[in-house]
Amino acid sequence: MAPQLPFINLLAQPGGRRRQDLGSFEYSYQAEITNVYPLTKAEKLYQLQLIDPEERRRFSFLPGQFVMLELPGIGEAPFSISSSPLHHGDLELCIRDVGNLTHFLSRMQRGARVGISGPFGTHFPVENMVGQDVLLIGGGLGIVPLRAPLFAVLENRSRYGRLDVMYGAKSPADLLFTYQYDSWRQFDVNLAITVDRPNRGWRGATGLITELLKERIAKADFQPATSFAIVCGPPVMFRFVCALLTEAGLPMQKMFVSLERRMHCGRGKCCRCNIGATYICLDGPVFDYWTVMNLKEAI
Amino acid sequence: MSSSHILKKDHLIPLLRKLGKAYRLVAPMQNRHGDTLFAEVASVETMALDLDHQPQESLKPFLFPQQEVIAAYEADQAGYALHPRYAAPPPTLYFGVRSCDLAAILYMDVIFSQRTREPHYLGRRHNTVLVGLNCNAPFPNCFCDATKNGPFSELGADLQLTDLGDRFLVTAGRAQGETIVSRWPQFFSAAEEAEIKKQYQLYLEARGGFQRQVHVDLAIRRLAEGMVDEAVWQQLSLRCQDCAGCAYVCPTCTCFTIVDQPRSATSGERLRCWDACTFAGFTRMAGGHNPVEPKKAAIKHRFLHKLKYDVEKHGRPSCVGCGRCLDICFGGTDIARFVELASEE
Repeated sequence: MAPQLPFINLLAQPGGRRRQDLGSFEYSYQAEITNVYPLTKAEKLYQLQLIDPEERRRFSFLPGQFVMLELPGIGEAPFSISSSPLHHGDLELCIRDVGNLTHFLSRMQRGARVGISGPFGTHFPVENMVGQDVLLIGGGLGIVPLRAPLFAVLENRSRYGRLDVMYGAKSPADLLFTYQYDSWRQFDVNLAITVDRPNRGWRGATGLITELLKERIAKADFQPATSFAIVCGPPVMFRFVCALLTEAGLPMQKMFVSLERRMHCGRGKCCRCNIGATYICLDGPVFDYWTVMNLKEAI
Repeated sequence: MSSSHILKKDHLIPLLRKLGKAYRLVAPMQNRHGDTLFAEVASVETMALDLDHQPQESLKPFLFPQQEVIAAYEADQAGYALHPRYAAPPPTLYFGVRSCDLAAILYMDVIFSQRTREPHYLGRRHNTVLVGLNCNAPFPNCFCDATKNGPFSELGADLQLTDLGDRFLVTAGRAQGETIVSRWPQFFSAAEEAEIKKQYQLYLEARGGFQRQVHVDLAIRRLAEGMVDEAVWQQLSLRCQDCAGCAYVCPTCTCFTIVDQPRSATSGERLRCWDACTFAGFTRMAGGHNPVEPKKAAIKHRFLHKLKYDVEKHGRPSCVGCGRCLDICFGGTDIARFVELASEE
């Protein structure tokens, strides 16, 4: 039996509550898991669809923003959106089975109902990158938030210059989205992949992602003045990749990184994602490297 | 404009009786264990009003409860729906609020209305009338002079009371206060010049009555300049017992966590509970990575938040000098100890 909680119409209460006080606070969209694709041993790609057609059409986000995924009885957790902004309410989230909520999620089947609130946070400014070369550098799960700006660029491919995607993973078995590499290459994407620990069948590059980047920088057509870089991955990777790019002459404010922190509310209230006076959920998760350098203990 | 009135102490209980009929009345009362706590007044006749001691807890549990249902959900095969639940408390009058707690409420107002408005707190706050009480004699652990919000309060209260011996000087600060004075004029008379002068005299005496010198300004400056030694955090983290008592009694600590509490197979409630930054799991992410890893970093985060980040963000520290963490901390990891260590050359 559902608990019979009293329904209170706040706006009709004595004392008056303004409509803006309520806003969209704690508003969650109902969504359905339409497909689950296992990508590797631990990661799965979940395709979600907002159930209400009007909400699905109206829901919009920018590449790099995140949503809170709510599982009934378990709670909510933030995840980067990994699909194209053009698809509005048809979202893709790539999630590793690593914690409490994600483990529960990994056992859910298609057709299950979940809640989505958001989108929250800042975004990668792909609109400013028009006419310029774009470098997307991802390590491990870092490719997941990179897919949104990648799709945004691919959908307007002619408006951008050279597009490089560099992706490093631990081993060939950990590579995500392997089935899409060919289709990306067809759109004139210079895709370079490296793994730390190759297995017997691996014929690609081996080593750290910085090696790929060094190769790229050494090429004659690398022009830092007309390039943008987006870097996602573990904090240790930011440090080395961004140092290399800075050395190559790319200005710090043209490098963007996405930080992650634990979050509970997504609205700058619960006070656990802050680095200094900066809240990752409101001021981030996307920062330019200049800002990150000035945030102590960020990476 | 504020106006000053006189309320004779004999008239206090009759006034409270009237107020108790118009509002839900919350006042500091002594319970049977001898503790002074804010509590809802069931009957003005039998209440053990205690204005001589500092309430051991602030008004935080009333405006921002330790645990509160913020939403209810229903989930089954057919769907998942979340219904926000907003508490709609009756208009509440808080009597005898000290200047530290008033300053803390003003701080919480900023936190909960800044950038995104938070309806649960603001809903309660909206229906709140505050009657403040100035501290003529600061309590042993107080240092609100150092945080510049006491011992006499000028902001935040609807009615501000000053104890002049056999009478209270009442200053009506906001419209709600004027309403109370004009609704029950039989209890109030106009204040004379001498009484206002006496209030100022008491203020000067109270300012001299602090038993503790906590150089908050100096600590803020040294933190801003990055001059606080790492050994300070190390020393404090060794003493911290991880009980979060300081965060729970602190009137300005508003960190919370959100959990889902299943009530049946298909439904449940979403609760918001207090949390504390000294807990090990506060910032730990799934997979075990914790950006604020050692205990030292958590302690550092706590004090920097109070005395550095909030100064950068709001222009004033979020410590209001109530001294409650000094009372509660048995390890001595309180803010006064930190300020003392941070101020050392």
